[in-house]
Amino acid sequence: MDIGSLGGNLLGIIPLGDIILYLTPLHLFMLIVILLFTFLIAVSRTETQVEASFEGLKDNKSTVGIAEFKARRFLAIVCGIATAGAMITGDLFNFILFVALTGIVNIGIVSAVKQIDVLNAAFQYGLIAMMASLPLFGGGAIILAATGTLSFFELANIASNPMILFGSILLLIGVAGETGIAPFFATKAEMFRTPGSPFILIIHLSSLFMIIRAIEILLLILT
Amino acid sequence: MLVPEFVPEIFCSLYLPAIYTGFIVGFIGLIGIAINKSDIHVLILTDIVGLAMLIVVGAVGTDLAEALILPGLVVELAEIMAISEILISREIRKKGKTPSILPMPLVFDMEIMTTAPNFLSLILIGYGIFLTGFTGGAVAGGGILLYILSRKARGLPILVINGLGAISGIAWCLWIVGFLLFFVNPEFWLLSLFLAASGLLLKVASKVGLIGVLMREEFKRK
Repeated sequence: MDIGSLGGNLLGIIPLGDIILYLTPLHLFMLIVILLFTFLIAVSRTETQVEASFEGLKDNKSTVGIAEFKARRFLAIVCGIATAGAMITGDLFNFILFVALTGIVNIGIVSAVKQIDVLNAAFQYGLIAMMASLPLFGGGAIILAATGTLSFFELANIASNPMILFGSILLLIGVAGETGIAPFFATKAEMFRTPGSPFILIIHLSSLFMIIRAIEILLLILT
Repeated sequence: MLVPEFVPEIFCSLYLPAIYTGFIVGFIGLIGIAINKSDIHVLILTDIVGLAMLIVVGAVGTDLAEALILPGLVVELAEIMAISEILISREIRKKGKTPSILPMPLVFDMEIMTTAPNFLSLILIGYGIFLTGFTGGAVAGGGILLYILSRKARGLPILVINGLGAISGIAWCLWIVGFLLFFVNPEFWLLSLFLAASGLLLKVASKVGLIGVLMREEFKRK
């Protein structure tokens, strides 16, 4: 499919040597939203959860320590920037790397929490993310082998064949595993059960944006 | 045929066996994970799946594939390190002790760890993203590692944003208005699409979902 017809008119390309970024209204919108959210995260404090206890008047406060807060905020900002990069990237190579980076950073954000079951969920999610790197990178490599290029400007003009289709399906499985959507969502939902709201939410938002972009990329490659 | 003429025929014919090898290795690894229930064994077996990824990517054998294989390796290493750290800290917490952010037995007592980690890691990550590939991955990874290792690093200035909850509530309304407009007045589909989309995005920032989490936590504690 033509590169302009999916996300609206092509607003322009930003060539940085080999790396070519391109902008359409859809990408621009998603880029601005994710950067805005990243900025909000960068300037916000983490929440303190107050848990009401049953059969009594006591409250349990679960707070986040300052060291944990700083590491988590840093990783959340990296996650936001990686997502923003994936929104405007012009080749599959960078997209794969940004998805993989988001996967690692998502594990990192919850890696220092106190709750054992959240750590358990993070461990399981990390295993899935590691296994998903096989279809993610493998799908990219198969598309590369079938077409000889990873640039969207070239891929959009190449007609689909069964090998490209196979690579694309692998790529979709890989993105689904790294970002933790439908078949792999169970552990990711468990990861939210910890204080530290704005930083935890970037996990959710980044996977949402990644999936939107991945669908667009698959349409670009296949049709 | 995409392959240039001067490449011998035998190299081209090796691609298919290599791909099959990769997928078979990955499949064996996954079977092992499905059978084994011990966490540390699962972690080690997961690395086999990662190695299968390297085989599949390496089978292509061009410059671009090499550029893809090196960050793949870096990602694989970073993930296995992160997951093993999680495993360690989980086991420490199960014993009732509190691990540090970085449960590491070494003591890093260097001046650079306290003076300039923010600046250095930002430069490293920016330059790493610019470089891409293995060198970029290594440089950016080094930046992140430097920041994490220097635990005394100062962060960015913090402003209090109390209105975040209100923003999420208003955004939720935008989402609903967008949906309504979509059915009532389909000519404005673009407007309603953007209303719904931006509303849904900001609604992610809402903390409503945490109420259910609190209930579950409380029931578990009893």
